[in-house]
Amino acid sequence: MPANGRLIAHVDVNSAYVSFERAFNPRLEGRPVVVLSNNDGCVVTASAEAKAVGVQLGVPWFKLRADADRLGLAALSSNYELYGDMSARVMQVLGDFTDDLEIYSIDEAFLAVPTGEDPQDFGRRIREALRHRLGVPVCVGIAATKTLAKLANKAAKKVAALDGVCAWESTRPQWREHLMASLPVDEVWGIAGRLAKRLRRMRIFSVADLAAANPATVRDRFNVVVMRTVLELQGVPAIPFEEQRTFKDQLIFSRSFADPVTTNTGMRQVLSIYAQQAAARLVKYDQAAKILHAFASTSYYGTEKHHAYSLAKLGRPTTDPTVLTKAAYRLLEQTHPGVRYARAGIMLTDLCPAAGQEALEPFVDVHEDRGIATLVDQVQRATGVSAIGLGCGGLANAPAWSMKREILSPRATTHWDELATVKAL
Amino acid sequence: MVKVLGLVGDRQWSGPFPVALERVAAGFPSPAQDYYDGPITLPAELIRDEAATFIVRVSGDSMTGAGISDGDELLVDRSIRPEDGDIVIAVLDGEMTVKRLRLTSRGVLLAAENPDYPDLPVGELADLTIWGTVTFCIHHLYRGFRRAG
Repeated sequence: MPANGRLIAHVDVNSAYVSFERAFNPRLEGRPVVVLSNNDGCVVTASAEAKAVGVQLGVPWFKLRADADRLGLAALSSNYELYGDMSARVMQVLGDFTDDLEIYSIDEAFLAVPTGEDPQDFGRRIREALRHRLGVPVCVGIAATKTLAKLANKAAKKVAALDGVCAWESTRPQWREHLMASLPVDEVWGIAGRLAKRLRRMRIFSVADLAAANPATVRDRFNVVVMRTVLELQGVPAIPFEEQRTFKDQLIFSRSFADPVTTNTGMRQVLSIYAQQAAARLVKYDQAAKILHAFASTSYYGTEKHHAYSLAKLGRPTTDPTVLTKAAYRLLEQTHPGVRYARAGIMLTDLCPAAGQEALEPFVDVHEDRGIATLVDQVQRATGVSAIGLGCGGLANAPAWSMKREILSPRATTHWDELATVKAL
Repeated sequence: MVKVLGLVGDRQWSGPFPVALERVAAGFPSPAQDYYDGPITLPAELIRDEAATFIVRVSGDSMTGAGISDGDELLVDRSIRPEDGDIVIAVLDGEMTVKRLRLTSRGVLLAAENPDYPDLPVGELADLTIWGTVTFCIHHLYRGFRRAG
């Protein structure tokens, strides 16, 4: 997002999956809660209380299960329908605060702070709005650059006195210096394990050390990307707006349009382009996607507000651009022709390694046409997953797309039969 | 002053035109003419804050006096700050519960709407967790109802 000299706010939902679950299950408040990855494999989100009793991200559920009762731990399967819908609501609320919203991931966004707004007050109002309208806790960091805004957000989380909002430039310089000196360099956005190691060999240990580095030297020793991070830590906006973002298990493509998209045809073109790009990226990184979210929203300045969102569960993890395009087109069921959409995008979540699927895919396609996949599904449902499978991969292991979710909470905002219950007692 | 837009039946003139939605005295166009804006859509009428509106289902009959029956759906707007007399969803012992909010001189009361159920004094409003304010109740009447598609 070219913020045009304005401050940037970074907003993210605290332990998003847990917080989304808590919005409909108040019993989970204040307790250790974990959400498991698809197939109930390992811990993908842990509440602060769970972390406090030693639960770590990535630990396999079968190992943790035995201790769950003793720790008072509640575990839930990934309810991606719920998380996708709640994420869309979060973004809809954030869209009320700025004309320049960049959806960064399923639970994070960057916002340009409107001119004339006091940053601290802006952050506080955002936090209050999410709590009041959605029951979801967020933290806000505001600074001159995205990297500093993310850092400020971290500070907002770590320092209780900040009460969830950190306006970087409003803090005392000595406090900022002290914080940056105490944080290891891998706490900076974009600096991961191996890069941090190389930086440490250059005697750059803390965030402060990196911020004090010479950008030109960093560019020569590493690359221009790390140089941009240094510039951003020094208060100079340098990271260009990327249409694509990749995480370990999420891929997002989105942009704002110079001229709003108002027709079905226009929206189809946008979605089709993103789906093709997404497919190419998946192939490049040897990943397959299981869920495709698509979204579009109107301009902040328009009189008619509309935020469209759709979610498609892909029949099997795929890299096929045709399948992805069709899934993206689901959004067209939610958009209206004539409405001026200023922003659209697609997000792929629950990515998994593509390897292991490849041998099966051409095989499965043939069977799909003859309804065999459906037949297999029906037999498995009646007699169990191990009763029948396709080819040599099907019997010995559960198919990668079976998506076992044994501890699934109700999909309370997307399924009429699973609405949250209120007691009249 | 009358502006001739075109003659009815004139093939050269086409396009959307405003339709008067109320009686117009011949010769004098009403200054407050309405325009056709599409058919009535329920979400537009029933939802004020889309992001903050949720639908829940009722279990139990403590609120029948308010016209809320077991199995009804309720539209709940989390953004509305409730006032005395509003139907709210309150969190009691970790459960989402539907009650009528009463702000009395002796403190806050969560009232049932059925003599078979007790009212609950709560104390201070600050001690109470209000999940949201109920805006509408959907009560099913036609037993043979089946959704389209």
